[in-house]
Amino acid sequence: MKPFDYIQAPSITDACIAAAEHSPAKFLAGGTDLLIELRRGNGNYPRSVVDISFLHELRGIEATPDGLIRIGPLTTHSELSSSALLRKNASFLSSAASTIGSPQIRNRGTVGGNVMNSAACADTVPPLIALGASVTLQSVEGRRTITLSDFFIGPYKNIARGDELLTSISFSPLPSVCRSSFVKLGRRNALSISRLSVAAVLGYDRDGRIADARIVPGSAFPVWRRAREAEQMLLGEEPSDKLFTAAGKRVSEAMVSYTGRRWSTEYKEAVITILVRRALEMCGRG
Amino acid sequence: MTRVTVKTTINHRKYELAPDPNQTLLDILREELGLTGTKRGCEIGQCGACTVLIDGRAANSCLVLAPQIDGKEILTVEGLASDGRLHPLQESFMDHDAVHCGFCTPGMLMSAKDLLDHAPHPSEEEIRVGISGNLCRCTGYVQIVDAIHDAAERLGKKERIEN
Amino acid sequence: MPHPHTIIGKPARRVDALGKVTGTAKFAEDYSVAHQLFGKVLRATQPHARILRIDTLKAAQLDGVEAVLTADDIPGEKAFGIVIKNQAILALDRVRYLGDGVALVAARTKEIAERASALIEVEYDPLSVVSDPEEALKPDAPKIHGDDNTFVHHKVRKGDITKGFAEADFIIERRFKTQFVEHSYIEPEAVLAEPLEHGGVRITGSVQNLFSSRRSVAAALTLDLNKVQIIQSTLGGSFGGKDEVMTSMCCRAALLAMRTGKPVKMVNTREESFLESYKRHPYVMEYRWGGKNDGSITAMEIRCIADGGAYASMSPFVTWRSAVQATGPYYCENVKTDVYAVYTNNNYTGAMRGFGSPQVNFAIESMMDELAERVGKDPLEIRLQNGFERGALTATGQRLNHTVSLKEVLTRAAHEIGFQEKWSRYRNAPDGAKKRGIGIACSYRGVSLGAEGADAAGAIVSVQTDGSVIVSAGITDMGQGAQTQMSQIAAEVLGISMDRVQFLNTNTSGVPDSGPTVASRGTIMGGSAAKNAAETVRVSLIAAASEMTGLPADTLDLREDYLVDASTGERLSTFSELAAECFRQGKPLYGFGWHKSPKTSWHDEEGRGEAYFTFVYGANIAEVEVDTETGKVDVIDFVSAHDVGKAINRNTVLGQFYGGAAMGLGYGLLEEFEIEDARPKQLNFDEYLLPTSMDVPRIHPIIVENEDAAGPYGAKSVGEPTNEIAAPAVVNAIFNATGKRVFELPANLERVLLGHALRRTSDRGAVLKDSANDAESCKTRRSRE
Repeated sequence: MKPFDYIQAPSITDACIAAAEHSPAKFLAGGTDLLIELRRGNGNYPRSVVDISFLHELRGIEATPDGLIRIGPLTTHSELSSSALLRKNASFLSSAASTIGSPQIRNRGTVGGNVMNSAACADTVPPLIALGASVTLQSVEGRRTITLSDFFIGPYKNIARGDELLTSISFSPLPSVCRSSFVKLGRRNALSISRLSVAAVLGYDRDGRIADARIVPGSAFPVWRRAREAEQMLLGEEPSDKLFTAAGKRVSEAMVSYTGRRWSTEYKEAVITILVRRALEMCGRG
Repeated sequence: MTRVTVKTTINHRKYELAPDPNQTLLDILREELGLTGTKRGCEIGQCGACTVLIDGRAANSCLVLAPQIDGKEILTVEGLASDGRLHPLQESFMDHDAVHCGFCTPGMLMSAKDLLDHAPHPSEEEIRVGISGNLCRCTGYVQIVDAIHDAAERLGKKERIEN
Repeated sequence: MPHPHTIIGKPARRVDALGKVTGTAKFAEDYSVAHQLFGKVLRATQPHARILRIDTLKAAQLDGVEAVLTADDIPGEKAFGIVIKNQAILALDRVRYLGDGVALVAARTKEIAERASALIEVEYDPLSVVSDPEEALKPDAPKIHGDDNTFVHHKVRKGDITKGFAEADFIIERRFKTQFVEHSYIEPEAVLAEPLEHGGVRITGSVQNLFSSRRSVAAALTLDLNKVQIIQSTLGGSFGGKDEVMTSMCCRAALLAMRTGKPVKMVNTREESFLESYKRHPYVMEYRWGGKNDGSITAMEIRCIADGGAYASMSPFVTWRSAVQATGPYYCENVKTDVYAVYTNNNYTGAMRGFGSPQVNFAIESMMDELAERVGKDPLEIRLQNGFERGALTATGQRLNHTVSLKEVLTRAAHEIGFQEKWSRYRNAPDGAKKRGIGIACSYRGVSLGAEGADAAGAIVSVQTDGSVIVSAGITDMGQGAQTQMSQIAAEVLGISMDRVQFLNTNTSGVPDSGPTVASRGTIMGGSAAKNAAETVRVSLIAAASEMTGLPADTLDLREDYLVDASTGERLSTFSELAAECFRQGKPLYGFGWHKSPKTSWHDEEGRGEAYFTFVYGANIAEVEVDTETGKVDVIDFVSAHDVGKAINRNTVLGQFYGGAAMGLGYGLLEEFEIEDARPKQLNFDEYLLPTSMDVPRIHPIIVENEDAAGPYGAKSVGEPTNEIAAPAVVNAIFNATGKRVFELPANLERVLLGHALRRTSDRGAVLKDSANDAESCKTRRSRE
């Protein structure tokens, strides 16, 4: 590992100041992505590493007085997996976190790191986007809150500046009538990177018609987004195999139209259809 | 790059260390403290050979910067036996021939310890998940899973006797 | 005097287990000494290029650098090789693959060494690259060494192939491809080289085949063999993989140590290990079989091309085993087999557990299922119909005069899991997303080196005056348990408990050259040598005992740490007292044992011979669940049945069953080291996918024991046979589930779903031709195909 300045931040404010003064800086949280990057040593090697891993205020999952769920960015994947609050209000986020890497990675890796690293295969991101989550970024210049669907601009790319620290992720709990699911396809059953994934939410009205539909595929679109085309098809309909398959096909078509035909398209276009259908199926039929 | 001061507990002993910040916990253990039981396998958190416990939870020591262990308690394979007595996992690994080349063994033991500390009666599935971040090329995992089962039983018995 | 074994056949704890569970076991990188320097290799940046200039001046001037060396600094032989000496320790005037070393640095710290190597300037003149073995065969292909890329051609000839095809009712023709596989020992390569006080060098490291590495170091440094000492550190896995790559590391570290006069440590990162180390050979295999409607085989015509990569390495031997075993254990009067190895600019390929058998077994066992399908039989039936029995004549013209247990392993494995019932149920199951399938594969395998070359090994058993025992041997332990098995044999012969025995890590200066620990020869060769050594000591002990007690030698026995009167069972003295008595009587308690294998033969030109002195037989069954919509395959059950002759240690034998199957499943489903245009795509375990604990099922072992006169206590081999048929069992199971056959390994998501991988590829494994010699033979084709 090449040298860098190491700054242990005693507070969020200090972290922001350090990142501004010692730019280009990288924030160190769980380290499961950053240390690999530093060891590889290529690209934009930081001048400084600002260690935020001691900031307890950035940890934890809570229900806020205004009815939101707020997740501290330093919350680990293990904590997401075992959180009763999440299991109740956004169970697919727990499920997604439990599929990441290995126990060791889940014990260290954080949801904030997963979001900020912005890999196309990041497993917590599809559920977070489906939840309509917002992220709060803080820097010496102030604070801003952005919905996650506006946050990403490409693989490993987001709109946060290097000196901006992610301080909070928040979203409304899923309505009690909604069921969520996360489906992941990897090449093996652990230590597995998502070849494709799908986060889905379905809610039904009293007549058993679909009233809320959210579909977010992972490793499919160049920029994270909800598959609105497919969601529209579902609204107001009664659930059926045929409908879910048609929605899957719609996601597949959208994927091909956004990415163009690439080396992996032959496989992905067939399989994303299936995974969407399965994710919807897992949400249940009202 | 300036050195930083780190106060930490490793295998129940207190240390005050002054690492270079770009050293990993793995570097510190192996190169500064001579605790070579923790193995260097891939350095990207994929093989699990460098697994140690940090405040009781399994972590890849290759993915932890040395300054990050300030105030933490670290346990490595060298600290697994206590008062000259092997941990039941160490006994059961030997009895079940769960140790072949032995290179994955220290990390495997630490993952298993985290598992049994938090789930004393694990199912086979839970055991397999518990060691899923530790690659073993020799055993096909079968004897390791058996050894962890057996250690859970031994620990259960020990607990019943002590109560 | 004969009494039941007390240690042989029992599950003993490993002699080296305690250090491995406490962290005190010392692996290569764990060795450090004062004032050691760190060695670093600068590797090629071009896969094929002439070197125009190497400028080391800037690197040498960096503070903390003590030596910068190139090929010019090697005093002796600059290249090595077991068969063909063409592997450069450091590139001379040309690099041939990206793993080639160009220059060496020794510096006070790792960081300085890294910085210095980045300061070495190398100017290349790029040459055309050849990365595909079939391209390499073409006349206008770039040449890697000399003027012909084909450096091996083995043939096997039996009967008359034309006549065989004429007699056939039909012909099945298929093409199969396999991949590069990384050994994936979890311990990366490392050595510590120290200059010795009387000249020469001592190397402690993760070396599998110490004696061949020593020969190359001595030749490179122009030292006598007695001036080069190689000590094996506790080895963190090898699987055939720590041979030439370690030889080159030993040579380089020794060179730096001799030049600087200081100890030099070298450690590969995982990426360096992937980049430089040799792999399992990818094969292209064309199989053409003539069959009769009753399911018998009239002709086999087989052509295999192995990608040898940049250097010869073990290719001549690996491909020879492929040639000998290419027909599988099946009767066929007319055989024509040709196996070629060719040079390319890829990673060189060499020994890996299985050694040329996993590739051909994938083809053979797929063909066998295709044959069954064609004639409307089930996969067990077709194997039992065609499989060898005692007295069979192999493709190489060898008569099998030992217990041929092929049908025993097949039927026992099938019975264990209810193979035939499941096979027909799964085959007729309605379509669905998740489909079950079951597949079987079997093999026969020649034990030890066979006609590859000299096959002998030595061991030393030495009883100390207090009755403790030291065992050492030329056969090395890589994690497979060789030390434990040899200790058990010594303890059995001496009638003592295992805790009296201390095994020493192999040291080339302490034991005679015993050849390599390869070819599953550890137990049969090393075990026999240890037995001979212990028996020599036993004779001394009994003679001393007879003198001491006045009883005739033939009534005395050693049991459970005592000298006993065998007629009465009376304990006459402790083993320790007896050892002390021997010392007083001046009787030596040092036994040297040597074991040489029975004769084998090979006639290159005729393509026939007595290839191996004995064979082992195995059968694997895999049960899978195929996600027919994604191509994901989960192995849910697995049976492994192998005739091991005799299990010296039940636990270590089971360990080989499980570990071998897991590695075979990785080969079948996950693992692939991809090289595109001579550039590797996977350099660490994030992209090179090994099976995890979640991917390997419970494995049901069936240990079959037909004791063989050739091995100690009847023991034969277990390490490699357990690894060589899991992949075809899985592929056959996928076929049972889906009706679709995978012709290329690994059977990953894309190949299972689409029938091919997603990457640029010249051509693929496939059905080449399915022709009928008569009109009716298509009737058994499955309707859904």
